[in-house]
Amino acid sequence: MRGPSTGIVYGGLKYQARCITDVKADVDHTSFLAGTLSLKEENEVHLIRLSPSGSELICDGLFYHPNEIWDLKSCPFDPRIFSTVFTSGETYGASVWKIPELYGQSNAPQPEQLVSLDEHSFKIKSVLWWPSGKHDRLISIDEGNIFLWSLDSSNKVAKVSSSKDFLLSSGLTEVISQESVGMLQNLSGGAWDPHDRNALAGICDSSLQFWDLRTMKKTTSIEQAHIRDVDYNPKKQHFLVTAEDVSGIQLWDLRRPKFPVKELPGHAHWTWAVRHNPEYEDLILSAGTDSTINLWSIRLPGNEGSSSESLFDSPTTLKDSLINSYTDYEDSVYGLAWSTREPLIFASLSYDGRVIVESVKSFIKRK
Amino acid sequence: MAEGVPPMDEKAKRTRDLLASFYSPDASAALGVGGGAGVSPRRIASPDSINSPFFDPEVYMSILVQKLNMEGLLQKHVEMAAEIKNLDTDLQMLVYENYNKFINATETIKRMKNNIVGMETNMEQLLVKITSVQSKSDLVNTSLFEKREHIEKLHRTRNLLRKVQLIYDLPTRLAKCIKVEAYADAVRYFIGAKPIFEAYGDSSFQDCKRASEEAIDLVIKNLQAKIYLDSEPIEARAEAVVLLKQLNFPVGLLHGLPIYTCFSPLVDNLKTKLLEKLEDYLLKFQDEYKDTGVSACNATESSDIGQLPDTVSVGDISKIIRAYLIIFPDSEKRLIELVQKLFNRRYGIIQQRIKERMTPADLLNMMRAIWEDVNVMDEILAEAALPAFSLEAARSIVQQYISTSFSYLLDEITDALGKSQQTQKEVVEECPYQNTLEASKKTIIQGSLDLLLDFRQLLDDNLELLAKLTDLIVDWVQEGFQGFFEKLNEQFLVLCGRGYIANPDSCQVDAVQMDKVQAGLVLVLAQLSVFIEQSAIPTITEEIAASFSGGGTRAYEHGPPFVPGEICRIFHSAGERFLLLYINMRTQKISVLLKKRFITPNWMKHKEPREVHMFVDLLLQELEAVGMEVKQILPQGLVRRHRHSDSLGSTTSSRSNPTREDKLTRTNTQRARSQFLESHLAKLFEQKMEIFTKVQHTQESVLSTIIKFCLKSLQEFVRLQTFNRSGFQQIHLDAEYLKNTLKEFVDDEAAIDFLLKEVVGAAHERCLDPIPLEAPILDRLISIKLSKSKEQSQTSP
Repeated sequence: MRGPSTGIVYGGLKYQARCITDVKADVDHTSFLAGTLSLKEENEVHLIRLSPSGSELICDGLFYHPNEIWDLKSCPFDPRIFSTVFTSGETYGASVWKIPELYGQSNAPQPEQLVSLDEHSFKIKSVLWWPSGKHDRLISIDEGNIFLWSLDSSNKVAKVSSSKDFLLSSGLTEVISQESVGMLQNLSGGAWDPHDRNALAGICDSSLQFWDLRTMKKTTSIEQAHIRDVDYNPKKQHFLVTAEDVSGIQLWDLRRPKFPVKELPGHAHWTWAVRHNPEYEDLILSAGTDSTINLWSIRLPGNEGSSSESLFDSPTTLKDSLINSYTDYEDSVYGLAWSTREPLIFASLSYDGRVIVESVKSFIKRK
Repeated sequence: MAEGVPPMDEKAKRTRDLLASFYSPDASAALGVGGGAGVSPRRIASPDSINSPFFDPEVYMSILVQKLNMEGLLQKHVEMAAEIKNLDTDLQMLVYENYNKFINATETIKRMKNNIVGMETNMEQLLVKITSVQSKSDLVNTSLFEKREHIEKLHRTRNLLRKVQLIYDLPTRLAKCIKVEAYADAVRYFIGAKPIFEAYGDSSFQDCKRASEEAIDLVIKNLQAKIYLDSEPIEARAEAVVLLKQLNFPVGLLHGLPIYTCFSPLVDNLKTKLLEKLEDYLLKFQDEYKDTGVSACNATESSDIGQLPDTVSVGDISKIIRAYLIIFPDSEKRLIELVQKLFNRRYGIIQQRIKERMTPADLLNMMRAIWEDVNVMDEILAEAALPAFSLEAARSIVQQYISTSFSYLLDEITDALGKSQQTQKEVVEECPYQNTLEASKKTIIQGSLDLLLDFRQLLDDNLELLAKLTDLIVDWVQEGFQGFFEKLNEQFLVLCGRGYIANPDSCQVDAVQMDKVQAGLVLVLAQLSVFIEQSAIPTITEEIAASFSGGGTRAYEHGPPFVPGEICRIFHSAGERFLLLYINMRTQKISVLLKKRFITPNWMKHKEPREVHMFVDLLLQELEAVGMEVKQILPQGLVRRHRHSDSLGSTTSSRSNPTREDKLTRTNTQRARSQFLESHLAKLFEQKMEIFTKVQHTQESVLSTIIKFCLKSLQEFVRLQTFNRSGFQQIHLDAEYLKNTLKEFVDDEAAIDFLLKEVVGAAHERCLDPIPLEAPILDRLISIKLSKSKEQSQTSP
């Protein structure tokens, strides 16, 4: 199962790191953003670009970030905007940043801070952009609340570089408080449904909860403890995948939230992150704390009839769905991102700060 | 001297070839054959080849003269002269031979001609003689004709006279028959004489006719009486009816319709009566059967179910049927239906009995009894095809028997496993899991062997019915085992909660309760799977091979029905899966513990460590519980140490060396260097510790896997927090304490040291002010904790 180490290594991150994201809006290059996690040193955000030949990773921008980065997301419609969640000792915060114009020099000292999302009273976990395109809302999740921020409706972010156009009107957000026992809910992350801009999945201690952003009410939930990560299927509505500490990877059909459609064994230790390929719906990538990345092939039920059958699929038959295991890591892998521009390429980031870009082309057999 | 002297045989061959070419119409072909065999192609083409069809003597000569010296030429000359002479003699001999043959042929033809000329006169003589013989025979014939005709006339008269005598004797003969009640003979005689009475009854034999008709009337009356008489045996009555039927038509004609009219309702009456009786019998029969069936269940005294109840016997029924058949040969269909129904019911009863558990001996008894009955019936009603019918029934019965036996075994095993859960709740046994494991092992192996023994009994029995099914039974047994083990595997899955799909609601509700019981049970299942794979399957395979080989009457396209390899594979993977599941369940519990530990406190405001934290105790408690379970169920693993070579880990580490080096060079080229990078590099130089090796079915392997897992989780939890100095010190203290205590559980110290170091390292990285505890304080705190726990362990038991 072990492929040859074909990965392209980028060793430019000097510190430990957890977050890497695909710059979705960059149509000219295959590029990723990675942020470091250093308690004592000055942290950096690297804009990493895959050279046109596809053989080298180039640092296309290096920006200082004041605090250690726990979450990093790139704006899906503007390649120069990204959001971070950061902590510094006991303080925490989340901001939307803009990469300044690079006039020749590659190292801009610091990106422009467009806005700071500072309504949070708990530890912020993640910031979500609507993955499917331009949308004037932004979500941030902390341990007890989900915030829905609205971007200025007149923004022309993609074109104008003035930061004033990109304002999050403070306070015009609807704030959803959890029940008074918010701490028990302990939200730790989430995903925004790419098919429905009003649906949000939030990871809690003991379940995966689904919210309707119009009413700000909980709609349904999947009772599953220890979820680490969740990802919607970008091609098929109602399907999503979760990664758990122990029980591996599970695929769900939201219309049948009681039992997973499929289970994959996951990793030897925790499965930390799981991502659908943006183009090939049967490819799933997972990263684990056992210092490996696994590439899975899944076959989702095509229609109602066959889905009931696969419900009774015994988990034994699923072992074959592991296509490849990338073991070329020295430490736990937390960061994982497919490239939207070249869907057969993904970037991974292990805790020791190494970015490795791999291609899965050799595993895809085109017909 | 390229030509040299050709060897003798080659020369002879050439001569023969030449001769052949002379006689053969296709000279070139013959030559080609000769040339191909003897001479190389180069020499055929060259002009100096004598044998070539394009041989030119002029050229040959000139070549010879050019090539050879005088001596050579002379030698060639001698050679060639000899050759020519040889050819001449050969030719002459052939001509002689042909000439001889020709002369012989001419002589033969001449002889033949002479012989044919003599034959013609003989033939003419023969013709004359034959014609004279014919005329004489005609003469004899005509002279004897008159006498022959007279003899024939006399013969006819004699026959007539004999008949007349018979008819005159008929009345007395009939009377005699009536006297001895030989009605059948009487009827036969009367029917024989009937045509004569019809022809001459009104004239010459009037008296005779009247007398015999009176006698026959008497016969009819007697027969009628006999039919109505219930005391007569059925057969006699049937016979009477048949006789009456024979008389029926002529009697009716002679006497108007008196007898016929009274006769036909009589027959119908009898028919229905008999049928009723038959059905009545059958009903009774079934009732008796049901009764015995029920009583046998109650009393479990089943040895005599096989026998028929005394009140009704197949013998009776067969008698009735026989009579019935004689009387109404056209009603066979109805009878067949009835009989088939009867046997159907009987087989049905067996099938019902099979649903409860029965021994093969019982089954055999029942089958044998029925088979005997079938044979009795078959003699009477061959058309009912009862043997074929029973074969079909027996087939399904045996198949059902085999499958129910397997399902019972499955239930037994499930019971054995399920019992542990209850007993554990109620009584605190010393090692409940061990008992469960042993019990289940025993059930599996013993049950399977018992089943085989039972089936063996079926095979060995000499019952004809089953003998025909031998091959099928072998197949079924093999199939049965295949299915049994597959089902067992599924059952295991259900037991450990993986089968929650099967009954979703119940498991969801008491999932929490089940957790407690299940962890051990899962381990039992894991071990049981290994047991099945390693000893049960081989034993059973051996047993099957010994007594159930062969078979395969069914299509071979699916291969043999029992595939031990496949089963072994299933259980091998099942064993691994259960083991992993067990580890998962255990680590999940510990994970929750760790998670609470790390999420609850505010690590940034942690106070100075005073003692080893509580969670360490909880962790150790959990590990102890695991150790208890593991010790009960799994074997010690010293023997298997050598297997490490095939584990995942070692291959990884052996592979990782070269790649690490080239990574190093790559890393070196990067411009950015920092303290972090250096420490990272330092870590790379250390031997990479493989944490996640393949789990084995041993106490040590499982326990150490769980511990490694937990420590890795610990590390990950630490990485998610930010610590102040005291927080870091607390972690450090806990880790140091764990280092001492965990050694009691596992002998893989290196891995634990490594992982704990990683934990401390992670805490160090995540600490704002990482100053470790001073060594003496650390030691003191640990020793306090150690002595405390020692006291506890001494006081508690």
